[in-house]
Amino acid sequence: MSSIIKVENLSFGYTPQSAVLKNFHFKVDRGAFVCIAGPNGAGKTTLLNLLCGLLSPNTGYIEIDSEPIGSYSVRKLAQKIAVVRQEFVPVFDFTVTETVSMARTPYLGRLGFETKPDIDIVKEALQITDTAQFASRTLATLSGGERQRVFIARAFAQDTPILLLDEPTSLLDLKHQVAIYDLLKTAQRQKGKTIVAITHDINLAAQYCDKVLLLGADRNYRVGSAENVFSTEQIEKVFGVKTFTGRVGQEKFFIPLGKFAKDCPQIYKNFNSGMQK
Amino acid sequence: MKKLSILLLPIVIVAGFIVISWYQKLLSPTTGEDEVKHPLISKQKSRDKMARTGKPQRIVSLAPNITEILFALGLDKEIVAVSSDSDYPAGAANKKKVGTFWQPNTEAVIVSKPDLVITLWFEQQNQVAESLKRLDYPVLTLKIEKIEELLTAIQQIGVATGSKQRAEQLAKDISTQLNELQSKFGSAYKVKVLWVVQPEPLRVAGRNTFVNKLIELAGGENAVGQTIQQYPPIGTEEILTCGAEIIIQSAMGTAGTSEQQKAAEKFWSKFAALPAVKNNRIYVVQPDTVLRLGPRLCQGIELIANCLHPGENR
Amino acid sequence: MTETLTSKKLAITFFFCLLALVVVMALCAVVGTQKISLAKALSGPADTPGENIDYEILMGVRLPRVILAALVGGALACCGVVLQAILRNPLADPYILGISSGAGLGAIIAVLSGLTWRFWGGSPIAVFAFVGALITVWLVWGIGHLAGAGKSQVTTLLLAGVVVNAFFAAVIMFLTSIAKSDQIHSTIFWLMGNITEKNRSVLLVSAACIIAGIIALFSICHRLNVLTFGQDQAKALGVDTAVTQITAFGLAAFITAIAVSLSGLIGFVGLIVPHAVRLVFGPDHRRLLPVSAIIGGAFLVVADTIARTIVAPAQLPVGVITAIAGGPFFLILLAKYSRKVSWLK
Repeated sequence: MSSIIKVENLSFGYTPQSAVLKNFHFKVDRGAFVCIAGPNGAGKTTLLNLLCGLLSPNTGYIEIDSEPIGSYSVRKLAQKIAVVRQEFVPVFDFTVTETVSMARTPYLGRLGFETKPDIDIVKEALQITDTAQFASRTLATLSGGERQRVFIARAFAQDTPILLLDEPTSLLDLKHQVAIYDLLKTAQRQKGKTIVAITHDINLAAQYCDKVLLLGADRNYRVGSAENVFSTEQIEKVFGVKTFTGRVGQEKFFIPLGKFAKDCPQIYKNFNSGMQK
Repeated sequence: MKKLSILLLPIVIVAGFIVISWYQKLLSPTTGEDEVKHPLISKQKSRDKMARTGKPQRIVSLAPNITEILFALGLDKEIVAVSSDSDYPAGAANKKKVGTFWQPNTEAVIVSKPDLVITLWFEQQNQVAESLKRLDYPVLTLKIEKIEELLTAIQQIGVATGSKQRAEQLAKDISTQLNELQSKFGSAYKVKVLWVVQPEPLRVAGRNTFVNKLIELAGGENAVGQTIQQYPPIGTEEILTCGAEIIIQSAMGTAGTSEQQKAAEKFWSKFAALPAVKNNRIYVVQPDTVLRLGPRLCQGIELIANCLHPGENR
Repeated sequence: MTETLTSKKLAITFFFCLLALVVVMALCAVVGTQKISLAKALSGPADTPGENIDYEILMGVRLPRVILAALVGGALACCGVVLQAILRNPLADPYILGISSGAGLGAIIAVLSGLTWRFWGGSPIAVFAFVGALITVWLVWGIGHLAGAGKSQVTTLLLAGVVVNAFFAAVIMFLTSIAKSDQIHSTIFWLMGNITEKNRSVLLVSAACIIAGIIALFSICHRLNVLTFGQDQAKALGVDTAVTQITAFGLAAFITAIAVSLSGLIGFVGLIVPHAVRLVFGPDHRRLLPVSAIIGGAFLVVADTIARTIVAPAQLPVGVITAIAGGPFFLILLAKYSRKVSWLK
């Protein structure tokens, strides 16, 4: 299985003194679902920006689909990578259809008119993300969750092998969080898309992803399956929070324990005695 | 490097523009002087028509001083339309109006069916002159910014309207009057004059203005020294030290001169140190005869002279 | 507009708008301070001037004015559309990045220098204003790019524009204070914005430049759509933001500089027309740009017709009419917008 994204020996800092990433090595296999987790300021968004070509590394090497990232023109790179960012409301009131149609820009001809295949792809993307009902509404009239689905539809319509997402569910309610992860997983399974998603929710990450990249604030990082990377000790080390780790069948779950967690001493006691429910 | 070349692109384009136009001699350096030397730049057709009739019968004037000159040459009947601020002599009020001095109306000019249009040389009137010339109307464009230019202009109008002799006479009269005034007041003591263009904020006429020339002809001297501005704003300090013996203020509008006089006296009472204020030599005058470079030039000079040397008869 | 815009649909819309423009231009050409008979006018020029004044007025005075008004209106409206997209600011107008003060400075320098050369039949003021506008825009763009980079670029550009405008305005003020009163009057009137009759070669050259510029702008309209979502998103969608921005900006500045050199600073057209068209046709720039060009042209033709008939035989500067019409319209737009679009909440 070849890697569709390869990062070698990457170093990057916004200023010469501080380095956000140092000697960073990372590989993403084709068709994998990777989650990037870590505390604020660890460099998750920076890494995403480096991967999609917005930032240039100070040293190191990034390869997309076996070509160095520098060899891609803006247009060609957009045919390989689609990016979904956090909540956003544009200045002018484009409709949902118009917004999603913009995903076809890397494929359009001189004057920029969509052809029938383009229109079909857009329709399909709207169908999959269940946003076809909003097709003629403007973005500003939608709720946060609906808007996020539209942007994901746009990423789907861009028809790229790689999909990068920056905290796609951080502002959404539970139902929409699950809906969007379901969407992404379906796209991975059915279309073979490679998904790299930054997330704050380690439970959802553990449930959906094949591989986890845990970025620490001190430039340390760990890569592996959720099973291996997420553990009580690791989470406490990276996030500074105690968690109660449990397991239900194959699924591992983590409950963060603050000062006021009910039965806190009891849980800790059970914990220490090695009981798992 | 790419960024730099993009920034240099406009320079290259502008330079290219200049080079191309120079090369193709599309820059036709017709100066104002040329146009004035050959006043009737009109096509063959109109010249033929003129030759048939001998002299223009329907004249349009686009400036008040040109109107005055035309009337002075006795062309009252030939004038068919004037600019709306041509208010002297009284006969001008009855003529059709073709827009203001600053925005003449080409359509109105055409409707008057002129066979001679006389304009002054500046941007807005040049535009109209160009349009009329394109339609084969004879247009005479004059530059009247100095006294000498006025005399030349009068003679050119005389040639264009077929009243050469009267024009020469008029120019001669004005010349003579000027010489008389010059000799009368020229050698006398130079009275210090402050010519106020507007009281608030205070602006005066400087030394390189036309008004200054008239003041000197009337035997005065500008209280303000040489300035780079033609109509400089003046500060209080300068006023107090300028030692003006006469203050002349241009009236705004044609009505209410006496109220303006009172207001001016009140305003200047602040500067009691000035000789002009002490001796109450503050005058508010109608500036038409002074500022309008026309046949009433000498009247204007006399007006100023009367302020400067009151009681002296002609 | 719920369906995707196709080239066919756009062509139909454009054709009808163009038709409307031609009708408006024709109607305005026969309206004026003097009544003219169309039949007589169309019978061609007479042998001697003054015989067929209907023809002379229609062909020599009104038609050139109407054509110029359409060109200038179209250019200003297009520039407004483009700048509002690049700066992601619906309140941008064509003069926001230095064109107004640059043209003004050029104009007053031309008047003060007393030059009388005529370039290609145009006056020195026009040429100096054109060059002044372009140089200023180049200066603002250069400062904006050198001073800011990346995300803050739009803000830096706007600030650079404000600073350059302010500085040049001060220089204009100084020059005005040392100029003769005639010259000041002349410059002020020129700056107020006027549509006057130009000769055929000037009209032809300007028409060619402006129309070519608008067509070139049309080819990057789909990229402008994407650009309104921000630089990062645009890059992710395959748009080379640097090239698109500089092309759009350069072209828009060029056609505006031509418009300003021909007719002074006419306000409100570049600000209002894009908004009005957006309200009706939506923000898709592939449709917004061509339709705005046409509506802008029609608007200015009507405004100029009012300007030259309402206080006959005098004329108002056309900028007065556009301001009077544009001001209240803008307030209405603002009220409607604040309910529709979130950025005003």
